[in-house]
Amino acid sequence: MSSGLCLRVLRGSGSAPAASSGSWSRFLSRSGARRGLSGSNSGTMNVFNREMKKRQKNWAGSLQDGQQYDYLRDEVGSRVADRVYDIARTFPLALDLGGGKGHIAEHLSQVQPEVVERLFLTDGSEETLKQRRKSEIPTRCVLADEEFLPFKENTFDLVVSSLSLHWINDLPGALKQIHQVLKPDGVFIGAMVGGETLYELRCSLQLAETEREGGFSPHVSPYTAVTDLGNLLGRAGFTMLTVDIDEVQVHYPGIIEVMTDLQGMGESNCAWNRRSLLHRDTILAAAAIYKEMYGSEDGSVPATFEILYMIGWKPHESQAKPAKRGSATQHQS
Amino acid sequence: MSGSNVWSRSREKIRLFPELFAQCTGEAAVYGKCVAATTTGRQELKKDLCAKEFEALKTCFISAVSDTKVQHVLKC
Repeated sequence: MSSGLCLRVLRGSGSAPAASSGSWSRFLSRSGARRGLSGSNSGTMNVFNREMKKRQKNWAGSLQDGQQYDYLRDEVGSRVADRVYDIARTFPLALDLGGGKGHIAEHLSQVQPEVVERLFLTDGSEETLKQRRKSEIPTRCVLADEEFLPFKENTFDLVVSSLSLHWINDLPGALKQIHQVLKPDGVFIGAMVGGETLYELRCSLQLAETEREGGFSPHVSPYTAVTDLGNLLGRAGFTMLTVDIDEVQVHYPGIIEVMTDLQGMGESNCAWNRRSLLHRDTILAAAAIYKEMYGSEDGSVPATFEILYMIGWKPHESQAKPAKRGSATQHQS
Repeated sequence: MSGSNVWSRSREKIRLFPELFAQCTGEAAVYGKCVAATTTGRQELKKDLCAKEFEALKTCFISAVSDTKVQHVLKC
């Protein structure tokens, strides 16, 4: 069941309800619940409360049994590490942006530790950095906000980022900063959740709130669409772009486990326009709707994570350029 | 370690939710079908469109809660 159907309900019910949900449905129908390409270059969007995100991540980082929630980050981290090996190069200095517990470095060091010689691991959450995984790669931990990188231009050979870009307010700005700190002929390999991630949760809550309360407000973040990613990377100055998409579906016993796990991952909602209260009736209704609309035969419910992988290079004269027009020496036929 | 507060109590209650919900799968399915029908049919989803089905679900849920409470009392 795609979000297209969900959108239909949304447009229909946008007329009746309270102010907050009315503005949400306007936002959605204008940009299709996407962000990152709202047209204006100057006015940065301020969608997320970064202070709150830091607090949430610190809370998640200090949980006693926090590693049970690391499955998604481990999986995506290993896939980013795979993409690093695919590039037949070694990287003297690398930066892991929003790297959390260092999932990428852990995988790199298990399989091919010589690929990266030195690593800077940054994150906004101190508690998470304290839980850093063991790795053979000499690492320096830096407490830094992804939107304000404390590094000089032309410093890094490699920048990686896994599952942290989706909480950044000024994504074009952050990509430009990444481009800046890279050396010419350096590469950026990123993975972010986007597209249709958690559409089941979003739709269930939306329908439940509409039926129970007469309106709804957003509970799941707006995500970047894969079609926008190429533009964003291009505008930031990256060349030789590769963008691909991967769908990870995780099965849970029910909606409560989905939400608890997201909270344990530090992925709770922190958008400014979020409603902090979720009525018990609405939770009950959403649980029933989620199960009925998306549930599997065995009683479990799926949650979809659409991971967008991107690779972009900082330009350098050594890189292959498209041939000049009129320079062909042979006919095609 | 801070003592019991509204957040820890809420989290405790939420932890019990799946077990209680599992006792009302029938009513949940009926309510779910009622709401899901609006995404494919021509009828728009409005407030309380499935109120009857929801009341049945809620009643079942509340009785599951009181059954659990009685069990806990009997245990000690």
